[in-house]
Amino acid sequence: MRMNQIMEEAQGSSGGGQAPIVQLRGINKSFDKNQVLFDIDLDVQRGQHVVIFGPSGSGKSTVLRSINLLAKPDSGSLKVGGIEYGPGLPSEVGVTRGAGLALRRKVGMVFQQFNLFPHLCALDNVALPLRKVHHLSKQQAREKAAIALRRVGLIDRAAHYPAELSGGQQQRVAIARALALDPEVMLFDEPTSALDPELVGEVLKTIREVAETGMTMVVVTHELGFAKEVGDLNVFMEDGRIVESGPRGFYENCTSDRAKEFLKAVM
Amino acid sequence: MAFFDYDWSLIWDNREALINGLWTALSVAIVALVISVVGGLGLAVLRTAPKPFSWIALVYTNIFRGVPALVSVIWVYFGVALLLGIRFTVFQAGVIALSLLYSAFFAEIFRSALAAVPFGHTEAGWALGMRSPQIFLSVNLPQAVKIALPNIGSMFIGMVKDTSTFTVIGLLEVVRVTQNLVATTFQPFVLYTAAAIIYVIAAFAIDLIFRLIEGAYVRPPLGIVGRLLRARQRQLIHRIIDRTKAGSLTTESVRLPN
Repeated sequence: MRMNQIMEEAQGSSGGGQAPIVQLRGINKSFDKNQVLFDIDLDVQRGQHVVIFGPSGSGKSTVLRSINLLAKPDSGSLKVGGIEYGPGLPSEVGVTRGAGLALRRKVGMVFQQFNLFPHLCALDNVALPLRKVHHLSKQQAREKAAIALRRVGLIDRAAHYPAELSGGQQQRVAIARALALDPEVMLFDEPTSALDPELVGEVLKTIREVAETGMTMVVVTHELGFAKEVGDLNVFMEDGRIVESGPRGFYENCTSDRAKEFLKAVM
Repeated sequence: MAFFDYDWSLIWDNREALINGLWTALSVAIVALVISVVGGLGLAVLRTAPKPFSWIALVYTNIFRGVPALVSVIWVYFGVALLLGIRFTVFQAGVIALSLLYSAFFAEIFRSALAAVPFGHTEAGWALGMRSPQIFLSVNLPQAVKIALPNIGSMFIGMVKDTSTFTVIGLLEVVRVTQNLVATTFQPFVLYTAAAIIYVIAAFAIDLIFRLIEGAYVRPPLGIVGRLLRARQRQLIHRIIDRTKAGSLTTESVRLPN
Protein backbone atom coordinates (compact mmCIF):
# COMPACT_ATOMS: atom_id res chain seq x y z
CA MET A 1 0.00 0.00 0.00
CA ARG A 2 2.70 2.43 1.11
CA MET A 3 4.74 1.33 -1.88
CA ASN A 4 1.84 2.07 -4.24
CA GLN A 5 1.44 5.53 -2.83
CA ILE A 6 5.08 6.31 -3.29
CA MET A 7 4.96 5.04 -6.87
CA GLU A 8 1.83 7.01 -7.67
CA GLU A 9 3.27 10.16 -6.20
CA ALA A 10 6.42 9.62 -8.18
CA GLN A 11 4.47 9.11 -11.40
CA GLY A 12 1.89 11.84 -10.91
CA SER A 13 2.68 14.93 -12.90
CA SER A 14 0.18 17.33 -11.31
CA GLY A 15 2.11 19.46 -8.92
CA GLY A 16 -0.37 19.87 -6.06
CA GLY A 17 -0.43 16.93 -3.60
CA GLN A 18 -2.00 13.61 -4.60
CA ALA A 19 -1.69 12.17 -8.09
CA PRO A 20 -4.96 11.95 -9.99
CA ILE A 21 -6.35 8.44 -10.38
CA VAL A 22 -7.41 9.25 -13.93
CA GLN A 23 -5.37 11.66 -16.00
CA LEU A 24 -6.09 12.62 -19.61
CA ARG A 25 -3.54 14.70 -21.50
CA GLY A 26 -3.98 15.91 -25.07
CA ILE A 27 -6.50 13.23 -26.04
CA ASN A 28 -7.53 13.39 -29.70
CA LYS A 29 -10.03 11.10 -31.32
CA SER A 30 -11.52 10.86 -34.82
CA PHE A 31 -14.14 8.61 -36.31
CA ASP A 32 -13.12 8.26 -39.94
CA LYS A 33 -12.44 11.86 -41.01
CA ASN A 34 -14.62 13.39 -38.35
CA GLN A 35 -12.59 14.59 -35.35
CA VAL A 36 -14.69 14.36 -32.20
CA LEU A 37 -12.16 15.15 -29.47
CA PHE A 38 -9.54 17.91 -29.51
CA ASP A 39 -6.72 17.94 -26.97
CA ILE A 40 -8.74 16.87 -23.97
CA ASP A 41 -7.05 17.35 -20.58
CA LEU A 42 -8.80 16.04 -17.49
CA ASP A 43 -7.71 15.11 -13.96
CA VAL A 44 -9.88 12.99 -11.74
CA GLN A 45 -8.75 12.77 -8.12
CA ARG A 46 -9.39 9.70 -6.01
CA GLY A 47 -12.87 9.94 -4.49
CA GLN A 48 -13.82 12.87 -6.72
CA HIS A 49 -17.15 13.05 -8.55
CA VAL A 50 -16.72 14.54 -11.98
CA VAL A 51 -19.73 15.59 -14.05
CA ILE A 52 -19.42 16.12 -17.80
CA PHE A 53 -22.25 17.98 -19.52
CA GLY A 54 -22.94 19.82 -22.73
CA PRO A 55 -25.02 19.65 -25.90
CA SER A 56 -25.39 16.34 -27.75
CA GLY A 57 -22.56 15.58 -30.11
CA SER A 58 -20.13 17.53 -27.95
CA GLY A 59 -17.95 14.46 -27.27
CA LYS A 60 -18.96 13.87 -23.63
CA SER A 61 -19.58 10.17 -24.09
CA THR A 62 -16.43 9.75 -26.16
CA VAL A 63 -14.33 11.23 -23.36
CA LEU A 64 -15.95 8.80 -20.95
CA ARG A 65 -15.50 5.86 -23.31
CA SER A 66 -11.87 6.72 -23.86
CA ILE A 67 -11.24 6.27 -20.13
CA ASN A 68 -11.89 2.51 -20.42
CA LEU A 69 -10.70 2.33 -24.05
CA LEU A 70 -14.09 1.53 -25.52
CA ALA A 71 -13.07 4.45 -27.71
CA LYS A 72 -9.31 4.25 -28.25
CA PRO A 73 -7.65 7.68 -28.36
CA ASP A 74 -5.71 8.41 -31.55
CA SER A 75 -3.13 10.34 -29.61
CA GLY A 76 -2.55 11.62 -26.11
CA SER A 77 -1.99 10.14 -22.71
CA LEU A 78 -4.50 8.20 -20.64
CA LYS A 79 -3.18 7.29 -17.22
CA VAL A 80 -5.18 5.37 -14.67
CA GLY A 81 -3.51 4.74 -11.33
CA GLY A 82 -0.29 6.14 -12.80
CA ILE A 83 -0.13 3.56 -15.60
CA GLU A 84 -0.23 4.63 -19.23
CA TYR A 85 -3.01 3.00 -21.28
CA GLY A 86 -3.19 5.43 -24.19
CA PRO A 87 -0.82 6.09 -27.09
CA GLY A 88 1.21 8.24 -24.67
CA LEU A 89 2.88 11.59 -25.03
CA PRO A 90 5.97 12.08 -27.22
CA SER A 91 7.68 13.77 -24.28
CA GLU A 92 7.20 10.72 -22.06
CA VAL A 93 8.96 7.63 -23.30
CA GLY A 94 9.55 4.50 -21.28
CA VAL A 95 6.58 4.88 -18.91
CA THR A 96 4.87 1.77 -17.54
CA ARG A 97 2.31 0.63 -20.08
CA GLY A 98 -0.76 -1.39 -19.21
CA ALA A 99 -3.07 -3.63 -21.22
CA GLY A 100 -6.67 -2.67 -21.94
CA LEU A 101 -7.90 -5.79 -20.18
CA ALA A 102 -6.16 -4.77 -16.95
CA LEU A 103 -7.55 -1.23 -17.26
CA ARG A 104 -11.12 -2.44 -17.65
CA ARG A 105 -10.78 -4.54 -14.53
CA LYS A 106 -10.14 -1.32 -12.56
CA VAL A 107 -12.81 0.80 -14.26
CA GLY A 108 -16.55 0.03 -14.08
CA MET A 109 -19.04 1.41 -16.56
CA VAL A 110 -22.79 1.92 -16.63
CA PHE A 111 -24.43 2.48 -20.01
CA GLN A 112 -27.39 4.53 -21.16
CA GLN A 113 -29.02 1.36 -22.55
CA PHE A 114 -28.24 -0.73 -19.41
CA ASN A 115 -26.87 -3.55 -21.61
CA LEU A 116 -27.94 -6.29 -19.25
CA PHE A 117 -27.63 -9.76 -20.74
CA PRO A 118 -31.28 -10.72 -21.41
CA HIS A 119 -30.66 -14.47 -21.22
CA LEU A 120 -29.44 -14.31 -17.62
CA CYS A 121 -31.38 -13.49 -14.47
CA ALA A 122 -30.39 -10.42 -12.46
CA LEU A 123 -28.17 -12.42 -10.12
CA ASP A 124 -26.33 -14.17 -12.96
CA ASN A 125 -25.89 -10.90 -14.84
CA VAL A 126 -23.87 -9.71 -11.87
CA ALA A 127 -22.22 -13.09 -11.31
CA LEU A 128 -21.08 -13.74 -14.91
CA PRO A 129 -18.09 -11.34 -14.97
CA LEU A 130 -17.09 -12.49 -11.48
CA ARG A 131 -16.80 -16.02 -12.85
CA LYS A 132 -15.18 -15.12 -16.15
CA VAL A 133 -12.86 -12.34 -15.01
CA HIS A 134 -12.05 -13.33 -11.45
CA HIS A 135 -12.59 -17.08 -11.85
CA LEU A 136 -14.86 -17.42 -8.84
CA SER A 137 -16.92 -20.62 -8.63
CA LYS A 138 -20.57 -20.35 -9.64
CA GLN A 139 -21.66 -20.40 -5.99
CA GLN A 140 -19.07 -17.85 -4.84
CA ALA A 141 -19.87 -15.57 -7.76
CA ARG A 142 -23.58 -15.71 -6.99
CA GLU A 143 -22.95 -14.93 -3.33
CA LYS A 144 -20.82 -11.93 -4.18
CA ALA A 145 -23.45 -10.90 -6.74
CA ALA A 146 -26.17 -11.16 -4.10
CA ILE A 147 -24.27 -8.73 -1.88
CA ALA A 148 -24.03 -6.27 -4.78
CA LEU A 149 -27.75 -6.61 -5.52
CA ARG A 150 -28.58 -5.99 -1.88
CA ARG A 151 -26.49 -2.83 -2.07
CA VAL A 152 -28.72 -1.45 -4.84
CA GLY A 153 -31.87 -2.66 -3.07
CA LEU A 154 -32.76 -5.38 -5.57
CA ILE A 155 -31.97 -8.58 -3.71
CA ASP A 156 -35.64 -9.61 -3.99
CA ARG A 157 -35.41 -9.39 -7.78
CA ALA A 158 -32.35 -11.65 -8.02
CA ALA A 159 -34.15 -14.46 -9.86
CA HIS A 160 -35.93 -12.11 -12.28
CA TYR A 161 -34.85 -11.77 -15.88
CA PRO A 162 -34.20 -8.30 -17.34
CA ALA A 163 -37.47 -8.53 -19.30
CA GLU A 164 -39.28 -8.82 -15.95
CA LEU A 165 -37.67 -5.70 -14.48
CA SER A 166 -38.51 -2.03 -14.99
CA GLY A 167 -35.98 0.18 -16.73
CA GLY A 168 -34.93 1.69 -13.42
CA GLN A 169 -34.45 -1.73 -11.88
CA GLN A 170 -32.45 -2.90 -14.90
CA GLN A 171 -30.16 0.09 -14.57
CA ARG A 172 -29.69 -0.60 -10.87
CA VAL A 173 -28.75 -4.20 -11.68
CA ALA A 174 -26.25 -2.82 -14.21
CA ILE A 175 -24.80 -0.61 -11.46
CA ALA A 176 -24.55 -3.62 -9.15
CA ARG A 177 -22.85 -5.60 -11.93
CA ALA A 178 -20.14 -2.95 -12.26
CA LEU A 179 -19.78 -2.47 -8.49
CA ALA A 180 -19.41 -6.19 -7.79
CA LEU A 181 -16.03 -6.12 -9.53
CA ASP A 182 -14.72 -3.66 -6.92
CA PRO A 183 -13.70 -0.99 -9.45
CA GLU A 184 -11.51 1.95 -8.51
CA VAL A 185 -13.40 4.27 -10.84
CA MET A 186 -17.01 4.17 -12.03
CA LEU A 187 -18.09 5.68 -15.34
CA PHE A 188 -21.74 6.57 -15.91
CA ASP A 189 -22.73 7.27 -19.51
CA GLU A 190 -26.07 9.12 -19.41
CA PRO A 191 -27.43 6.53 -16.97
CA THR A 192 -30.95 7.97 -16.84
CA SER A 193 -31.46 9.13 -20.43
CA ALA A 194 -33.24 5.96 -21.56
CA LEU A 195 -35.61 5.91 -18.58
CA ASP A 196 -39.21 6.98 -18.21
CA PRO A 197 -39.29 10.16 -16.10
CA GLU A 198 -40.83 8.44 -13.07
CA LEU A 199 -37.96 5.92 -12.97
CA VAL A 200 -35.13 8.44 -13.03
CA GLY A 201 -35.33 9.10 -9.28
CA GLU A 202 -34.56 5.58 -8.10
CA VAL A 203 -31.49 5.35 -10.36
CA LEU A 204 -30.16 8.73 -9.25
CA LYS A 205 -30.72 7.68 -5.65
CA THR A 206 -28.61 4.55 -6.24
CA ILE A 207 -25.85 6.57 -7.93
CA ARG A 208 -25.94 9.07 -5.06
CA GLU A 209 -25.49 6.20 -2.61
CA VAL A 210 -22.50 4.96 -4.58
CA ALA A 211 -21.08 8.48 -4.51
CA GLU A 212 -21.49 8.62 -0.74
CA THR A 213 -19.25 5.59 -0.33
CA GLY A 214 -16.39 7.71 -1.66
CA MET A 215 -16.26 5.98 -5.05
CA THR A 216 -14.41 7.90 -7.74
CA MET A 217 -16.97 8.68 -10.44
CA VAL A 218 -17.18 10.29 -13.84
CA VAL A 219 -20.77 10.98 -14.86
CA VAL A 220 -22.04 12.16 -18.22
CA THR A 221 -25.55 13.43 -17.61
CA HIS A 222 -28.32 15.76 -18.71
CA GLU A 223 -29.75 15.75 -15.18
CA LEU A 224 -28.26 19.07 -14.16
CA GLY A 225 -30.04 19.14 -10.83
CA PHE A 226 -28.27 15.93 -9.95
CA ALA A 227 -25.01 17.23 -11.43
CA LYS A 228 -25.18 20.29 -9.22
CA GLU A 229 -25.65 18.09 -6.20
CA VAL A 230 -22.86 15.52 -6.73
CA GLY A 231 -20.37 17.33 -8.97
CA ASP A 232 -17.07 18.12 -7.25
CA LEU A 233 -15.66 18.96 -10.66
CA ASN A 234 -17.97 20.09 -13.44
CA VAL A 235 -16.87 20.00 -17.05
CA PHE A 236 -18.73 21.76 -19.87
CA MET A 237 -17.97 20.43 -23.35
CA GLU A 238 -18.86 21.62 -26.80
CA ASP A 239 -17.67 20.57 -30.27
CA GLY A 240 -15.15 18.10 -28.91
CA ARG A 241 -13.45 20.56 -26.59
CA ILE A 242 -13.62 21.29 -22.90
CA VAL A 243 -14.92 24.86 -22.86
CA GLU A 244 -14.84 25.42 -19.13
CA SER A 245 -14.68 23.47 -15.92
CA GLY A 246 -14.99 24.31 -12.28
CA PRO A 247 -15.68 23.13 -8.73
CA ARG A 248 -18.97 23.19 -6.81
CA GLY A 249 -21.00 26.26 -7.55
CA PHE A 250 -19.97 26.06 -11.22
CA TYR A 251 -23.54 26.23 -12.43
CA GLU A 252 -23.96 29.64 -10.83
CA ASN A 253 -20.43 30.94 -11.32
CA CYS A 254 -19.36 29.81 -14.79
CA THR A 255 -17.89 32.58 -16.88
CA SER A 256 -17.88 31.45 -20.54
CA ASP A 257 -20.77 32.67 -22.68
CA ARG A 258 -21.40 29.24 -24.16
CA ALA A 259 -21.70 27.52 -20.77
CA LYS A 260 -24.00 30.28 -19.53
CA GLU A 261 -26.14 30.04 -22.67
CA PHE A 262 -26.37 26.28 -22.41
CA LEU A 263 -27.30 26.37 -18.72
CA LYS A 264 -29.89 29.06 -19.38
CA ALA A 265 -31.43 26.95 -22.14
CA VAL A 266 -31.69 23.72 -20.13
CA MET A 267 -32.29 24.86 -16.56
CA MET B 1 -61.84 -45.30 -60.57
CA ALA B 2 -63.54 -44.02 -57.50
CA PHE B 3 -61.75 -43.20 -54.29
CA PHE B 4 -62.73 -46.47 -52.64
CA ASP B 5 -61.42 -48.59 -55.48
CA TYR B 6 -57.89 -47.88 -54.31
CA ASP B 7 -56.45 -50.38 -51.90
CA TRP B 8 -55.92 -48.11 -48.89
CA SER B 9 -55.22 -51.08 -46.65
CA LEU B 10 -51.80 -51.25 -48.31
CA ILE B 11 -50.70 -48.38 -46.09
CA TRP B 12 -51.48 -50.25 -42.92
CA ASP B 13 -50.12 -53.53 -44.25
CA ASN B 14 -46.80 -51.94 -45.11
CA ARG B 15 -46.60 -49.63 -42.13
CA GLU B 16 -43.48 -51.27 -40.79
CA ALA B 17 -41.48 -50.77 -43.99
CA LEU B 18 -42.67 -47.15 -44.29
CA ILE B 19 -41.85 -46.33 -40.68
CA ASN B 20 -38.43 -47.91 -41.07
CA GLY B 21 -37.94 -45.63 -44.05
CA LEU B 22 -38.83 -42.65 -41.89
CA TRP B 23 -36.36 -43.72 -39.21
CA THR B 24 -33.60 -43.99 -41.79
CA ALA B 25 -34.46 -40.54 -43.14
CA LEU B 26 -34.57 -39.07 -39.61
CA SER B 27 -31.26 -40.68 -38.63
CA VAL B 28 -29.47 -39.24 -41.64
CA ALA B 29 -31.06 -35.84 -41.06
CA ILE B 30 -30.30 -35.75 -37.32
CA VAL B 31 -26.62 -36.64 -37.73
CA ALA B 32 -26.38 -34.08 -40.55
CA LEU B 33 -28.18 -31.50 -38.38
CA VAL B 34 -25.57 -31.79 -35.64
CA ILE B 35 -22.71 -31.50 -38.14
CA SER B 36 -24.34 -28.62 -40.04
CA VAL B 37 -25.07 -26.61 -36.89
CA VAL B 38 -21.44 -26.85 -35.83
CA GLY B 39 -20.21 -26.25 -39.38
CA GLY B 40 -22.60 -23.37 -39.95
CA LEU B 41 -21.56 -21.72 -36.71
CA GLY B 42 -17.92 -22.10 -37.71
CA LEU B 43 -18.63 -20.52 -41.10
CA ALA B 44 -20.58 -17.68 -39.46
CA VAL B 45 -17.63 -16.94 -37.20
CA LEU B 46 -15.28 -17.19 -40.19
CA ARG B 47 -17.41 -14.57 -41.94
CA THR B 48 -16.44 -12.09 -39.21
CA ALA B 49 -12.70 -12.91 -39.60
CA PRO B 50 -10.28 -10.71 -41.60
CA LYS B 51 -10.60 -10.71 -45.35
CA PRO B 52 -9.04 -13.74 -47.00
CA PHE B 53 -10.71 -15.97 -44.38
CA SER B 54 -14.11 -14.31 -44.56
CA TRP B 55 -14.07 -14.78 -48.33
CA ILE B 56 -13.64 -18.54 -47.91
CA ALA B 57 -16.83 -18.60 -45.85
CA LEU B 58 -18.64 -16.35 -48.29
CA VAL B 59 -17.70 -18.43 -51.34
CA TYR B 60 -18.54 -21.70 -49.60
CA THR B 61 -21.92 -20.40 -48.47
CA ASN B 62 -22.90 -19.14 -51.88
CA ILE B 63 -21.82 -22.30 -53.70
CA PHE B 64 -23.47 -24.82 -51.41
CA ARG B 65 -26.69 -22.93 -50.95
CA GLY B 66 -27.11 -23.26 -54.70
CA VAL B 67 -26.41 -26.98 -55.09
CA PRO B 68 -29.49 -29.28 -55.06
CA ALA B 69 -29.43 -32.23 -52.65
CA LEU B 70 -29.71 -34.70 -55.51
CA VAL B 71 -26.56 -33.34 -57.18
CA SER B 72 -24.74 -33.15 -53.87
CA VAL B 73 -25.35 -36.79 -52.98
CA ILE B 74 -24.44 -38.08 -56.44
CA TRP B 75 -21.27 -36.08 -56.26
CA VAL B 76 -20.36 -37.37 -52.79
CA TYR B 77 -21.32 -41.00 -53.43
CA PHE B 78 -20.10 -41.51 -57.02
CA GLY B 79 -17.84 -38.51 -57.63
CA VAL B 80 -15.63 -38.93 -54.59
CA ALA B 81 -15.33 -42.64 -55.29
CA LEU B 82 -14.24 -41.98 -58.87
CA LEU B 83 -11.84 -39.16 -58.04
CA LEU B 84 -10.34 -40.26 -54.74
CA GLY B 85 -11.28 -43.91 -54.55
CA ILE B 86 -13.11 -43.35 -51.25
CA ARG B 87 -16.29 -45.39 -51.04
CA PHE B 88 -18.82 -44.13 -48.54
CA THR B 89 -21.79 -46.19 -47.39
CA VAL B 90 -25.12 -44.77 -48.55
CA PHE B 91 -25.78 -43.58 -45.01
CA GLN B 92 -22.44 -41.76 -44.80
CA ALA B 93 -22.88 -40.27 -48.26
CA GLY B 94 -26.33 -38.98 -47.30
CA VAL B 95 -25.04 -37.40 -44.11
CA ILE B 96 -22.09 -35.75 -45.87
CA ALA B 97 -24.21 -34.48 -48.76
CA LEU B 98 -26.77 -32.92 -46.41
CA SER B 99 -24.11 -31.47 -44.10
CA LEU B 100 -22.29 -29.80 -46.98
CA LEU B 101 -25.49 -28.06 -48.10
CA TYR B 102 -27.02 -27.18 -44.78
CA SER B 103 -23.82 -25.88 -43.21
CA ALA B 104 -24.14 -23.12 -45.77
CA PHE B 105 -27.75 -22.39 -44.77
CA PHE B 106 -26.96 -22.52 -41.06
CA ALA B 107 -24.02 -20.18 -41.64
CA GLU B 108 -26.46 -17.54 -42.90
CA ILE B 109 -28.92 -18.23 -40.08
CA PHE B 110 -26.21 -17.84 -37.43
CA ARG B 111 -24.68 -14.82 -39.14
CA SER B 112 -27.96 -12.92 -39.02
CA ALA B 113 -28.72 -14.17 -35.49
CA LEU B 114 -25.34 -13.02 -34.20
CA ALA B 115 -25.82 -9.68 -35.94
CA ALA B 116 -29.18 -9.31 -34.16
CA VAL B 117 -27.53 -9.34 -30.72
CA PRO B 118 -27.04 -5.67 -29.76
CA PHE B 119 -23.41 -4.56 -29.99
CA GLY B 120 -23.88 -2.87 -26.61
CA HIS B 121 -23.80 -6.31 -24.98
CA THR B 122 -20.33 -6.91 -26.40
CA GLU B 123 -19.24 -3.48 -25.18
CA ALA B 124 -20.68 -4.21 -21.75
CA GLY B 125 -18.66 -7.43 -21.69
CA TRP B 126 -15.49 -5.52 -22.59
CA ALA B 127 -16.23 -2.86 -19.99
CA LEU B 128 -16.59 -5.63 -17.39
CA GLY B 129 -13.11 -6.89 -18.26
CA MET B 130 -14.19 -10.00 -20.15
CA ARG B 131 -12.19 -11.29 -23.12
CA SER B 132 -13.77 -11.37 -26.56
CA PRO B 133 -14.00 -15.20 -26.76
CA GLN B 134 -15.65 -15.26 -23.31
CA ILE B 135 -18.14 -12.65 -24.45
CA PHE B 136 -18.85 -14.62 -27.62
CA LEU B 137 -19.48 -17.86 -25.74
CA SER B 138 -21.42 -16.61 -22.74
CA VAL B 139 -23.15 -13.48 -24.05
CA ASN B 140 -23.53 -13.48 -27.84
CA LEU B 141 -23.90 -17.17 -28.64
CA PRO B 142 -26.69 -18.01 -26.16
CA GLN B 143 -28.72 -15.08 -27.47
CA ALA B 144 -28.00 -15.95 -31.10
CA VAL B 145 -29.04 -19.57 -30.60
CA LYS B 146 -32.37 -18.41 -29.23
CA ILE B 147 -32.90 -16.16 -32.24
CA ALA B 148 -31.81 -18.92 -34.66
CA LEU B 149 -33.90 -21.75 -33.18
CA PRO B 150 -37.12 -21.27 -35.19
CA ASN B 151 -35.11 -21.15 -38.41
CA ILE B 152 -33.09 -24.20 -37.44
CA GLY B 153 -36.38 -26.04 -36.92
CA SER B 154 -37.65 -25.11 -40.39
CA MET B 155 -34.33 -26.07 -41.92
CA PHE B 156 -34.46 -29.45 -40.20
CA ILE B 157 -37.85 -30.18 -41.76
CA GLY B 158 -36.26 -29.33 -45.10
CA MET B 159 -33.37 -31.68 -44.36
CA VAL B 160 -35.74 -34.59 -43.69
CA LYS B 161 -37.52 -33.90 -46.97
CA ASP B 162 -34.23 -33.64 -48.87
CA THR B 163 -33.36 -37.19 -47.82
CA SER B 164 -36.05 -38.25 -50.33
CA THR B 165 -33.59 -37.52 -53.14
CA PHE B 166 -31.15 -40.05 -51.66
CA THR B 167 -33.26 -42.77 -53.18
CA VAL B 168 -30.93 -42.26 -56.15
CA ILE B 169 -28.04 -43.86 -54.25
CA GLY B 170 -30.31 -46.55 -52.82
CA LEU B 171 -30.79 -45.24 -49.28
CA LEU B 172 -33.85 -47.05 -47.89
CA GLU B 173 -35.67 -43.91 -46.87
CA VAL B 174 -39.40 -43.19 -47.26
CA VAL B 175 -39.44 -42.61 -51.02
CA ARG B 176 -37.20 -45.59 -51.78
CA VAL B 177 -39.43 -47.84 -49.65
CA THR B 178 -42.46 -46.45 -51.46
CA GLN B 179 -40.93 -47.08 -54.86
CA ASN B 180 -40.17 -50.67 -53.89
CA LEU B 181 -43.74 -51.20 -52.71
CA VAL B 182 -45.16 -49.62 -55.87
CA ALA B 183 -43.08 -52.01 -57.97
CA THR B 184 -44.89 -54.98 -56.47
CA THR B 185 -48.38 -53.58 -55.81
CA PHE B 186 -48.90 -51.12 -58.73
CA GLN B 187 -50.64 -48.65 -56.38
CA PRO B 188 -48.53 -45.48 -56.70
CA PHE B 189 -51.30 -43.07 -55.74
CA VAL B 190 -52.03 -44.85 -52.46
CA LEU B 191 -48.42 -45.39 -51.51
CA TYR B 192 -47.15 -41.90 -52.39
CA THR B 193 -50.06 -40.47 -50.44
CA ALA B 194 -48.84 -42.56 -47.52
CA ALA B 195 -45.35 -41.16 -48.01
CA ALA B 196 -46.72 -37.62 -48.01
CA ILE B 197 -48.66 -38.27 -44.82
CA ILE B 198 -45.51 -39.60 -43.15
CA TYR B 199 -43.53 -36.48 -44.09
CA VAL B 200 -46.28 -34.19 -42.82
CA ILE B 201 -46.53 -36.06 -39.51
CA ALA B 202 -42.76 -35.85 -39.15
CA ALA B 203 -42.89 -32.12 -39.86
CA PHE B 204 -45.53 -31.60 -37.16
CA ALA B 205 -43.51 -33.61 -34.66
CA ILE B 206 -40.30 -31.70 -35.42
CA ASP B 207 -42.16 -28.40 -35.12
CA LEU B 208 -43.53 -29.46 -31.73
CA ILE B 209 -40.11 -30.50 -30.45
CA PHE B 210 -38.51 -27.25 -31.58
CA ARG B 211 -41.31 -25.27 -29.94
CA LEU B 212 -40.56 -27.02 -26.67
CA ILE B 213 -36.87 -26.22 -26.99
CA GLU B 214 -37.69 -22.61 -27.91
CA GLY B 215 -39.94 -22.32 -24.88
CA ALA B 216 -37.14 -23.50 -22.64
CA TYR B 217 -34.82 -20.96 -24.26
CA VAL B 218 -37.07 -17.90 -23.97
CA ARG B 219 -36.36 -15.64 -21.00
CA PRO B 220 -38.38 -15.89 -18.82
CA PRO B 221 -38.73 -19.57 -19.79
CA LEU B 222 -42.04 -20.95 -21.09
CA GLY B 223 -43.40 -24.45 -21.49
CA ILE B 224 -42.96 -27.52 -19.32
CA VAL B 225 -39.20 -27.89 -19.73
CA GLY B 226 -38.57 -24.19 -19.22
CA ARG B 227 -40.71 -24.00 -16.12
CA LEU B 228 -39.03 -27.01 -14.55
CA LEU B 229 -35.57 -25.60 -15.19
CA ARG B 230 -36.62 -22.24 -13.81
CA ALA B 231 -38.11 -23.71 -10.64
CA ARG B 232 -34.79 -25.40 -9.93
CA GLN B 233 -32.85 -22.19 -10.56
CA ARG B 234 -35.19 -20.18 -8.33
CA GLN B 235 -34.71 -22.64 -5.53
CA LEU B 236 -30.93 -22.20 -5.65
CA ILE B 237 -31.12 -18.43 -5.94
CA HIS B 238 -33.63 -18.04 -3.14
CA ARG B 239 -31.32 -19.94 -0.84
CA ILE B 240 -28.66 -17.30 -1.57
CA ILE B 241 -31.21 -14.46 -1.19
CA ASP B 242 -32.25 -15.78 2.21
CA ARG B 243 -28.66 -16.03 3.40
CA THR B 244 -27.93 -12.52 2.13
CA LYS B 245 -30.96 -11.11 3.90
CA ALA B 246 -30.13 -12.95 7.09
CA GLY B 247 -26.80 -11.13 6.99
CA SER B 248 -24.66 -14.26 6.84
CA LEU B 249 -23.24 -13.06 3.54
CA THR B 250 -21.24 -9.88 3.81
CA THR B 251 -18.71 -8.05 1.72
CA GLU B 252 -16.08 -9.81 3.79
CA SER B 253 -17.35 -13.33 3.12
CA VAL B 254 -16.60 -13.26 -0.60
CA ARG B 255 -13.45 -11.53 -1.68
CA LEU B 256 -12.05 -11.19 -5.15
CA PRO B 257 -8.76 -12.97 -5.66
CA ASN B 258 -6.11 -10.42 -6.51
